[in-house]
Amino acid sequence: MVVVNNLYIFDRHCECIFYTEWNRTNSPLAAEAEAGRGSKDLVRGNQVLTGDTSSSRSSLDGQRPLVWPTTSTSTTHRVSAESLRNVAMEEEAKLVYGVVYSTRNIINKLNSKDSSQGGNPGGFTSFATNTYRLHYYEAPTGVKFILNTDVGTTSMQPVLEMIYRNIYVEYVMKNPLFRIDPKVSTPIENDYFRAVLNNYIREISSAAMPAS
Amino acid sequence: MAKQYKTIGDEAWKNSVEKVNAELFIFTYGSLVVQLLRDHEDCTAVNQQLDKLGYNIGVRLADDMFARTSLDRCSDIHATADVIAKIGFRMFLNTTPTVGLWSSDNEFSLLVEDNPLNDFCELPPRALGDGLWYSNVLCGVVRGALEMMHMQARVWFVRDVLRGDDTTEIRVRVERMLDEEVPAADE
Repeated sequence: MVVVNNLYIFDRHCECIFYTEWNRTNSPLAAEAEAGRGSKDLVRGNQVLTGDTSSSRSSLDGQRPLVWPTTSTSTTHRVSAESLRNVAMEEEAKLVYGVVYSTRNIINKLNSKDSSQGGNPGGFTSFATNTYRLHYYEAPTGVKFILNTDVGTTSMQPVLEMIYRNIYVEYVMKNPLFRIDPKVSTPIENDYFRAVLNNYIREISSAAMPAS
Repeated sequence: MAKQYKTIGDEAWKNSVEKVNAELFIFTYGSLVVQLLRDHEDCTAVNQQLDKLGYNIGVRLADDMFARTSLDRCSDIHATADVIAKIGFRMFLNTTPTVGLWSSDNEFSLLVEDNPLNDFCELPPRALGDGLWYSNVLCGVVRGALEMMHMQARVWFVRDVLRGDDTTEIRVRVERMLDEEVPAADE
């Protein structure tokens, strides 16, 4: 039995463009985010002045539509995008991306296959802790898929490849209304994509595990 | 390696790609160019619009190509040129241009013998005089696809059979490799 916990999709600009969860046991780092919020804002203010890439991203954050599943009933009655920004989830996404990025780079270097254009020549596929296993797939164009499952699942590479080839490419890339901009990251807000993805994961979770 | 690309391209064309009626595609493209000419009147502006259209197509086409074949990133620009010609063009247009006229190791030409978009098309003298590149959308497609593969390129038409030259030639110049983006440092 494969228990799929959640899925993150990061695009080429290191931004999380999609997140969904099916089985989440703990909440995001809400308490720490609250406590550290005051000092973090100051630091972020400094960051805006010094770095140009980070400033362009933070100025866009306020107008970006939401990536995270909201707890409120309707997203159409948004008072302001700012007030509903889920900082805890954003922090978590950054942490996840950082872990995966660093691990992948270490593995690339150890295999002496380092490349400044990225990619996954070292072949980082997954890592495991006591409670979960994280699976990673990077498409040649730089889109990254991160899937967390229970510890017992050995390899979700074919699943992630399926998600990339038949769901992401079909419903996101081929959608002409999905803007692809070299400077701005657009989150995925596509009901068909969500529905097909949910169906596929449900199928995977309920199918018997193949003997490996 | 070249032989392998050719077989991958043929294989992809036969099995992985849904086909559409060629005439429908050609006529749709033709009426698109005609409408652009009516809207803009100026051939340079039309060329730019076609390039922009092509760019939007190209950024999506790169992912589509990887989804349909089990290719990985190319090691060098020669391999990239081969993949564009033998797999990309073959899969999406059913024509295989030849790669040639390499210069300074980052510039090459794609010589297209039979461009399907040119069927049934004849350029009027006004368009010929003004410098319209009828299939300029292909330049945008190559540029967009290369940008998704972290290569910034300039792609332009050199010769076109519709303008009386003997063959169609698209020149590709890889200006620089874009490095992978590093996540913004926090704190």
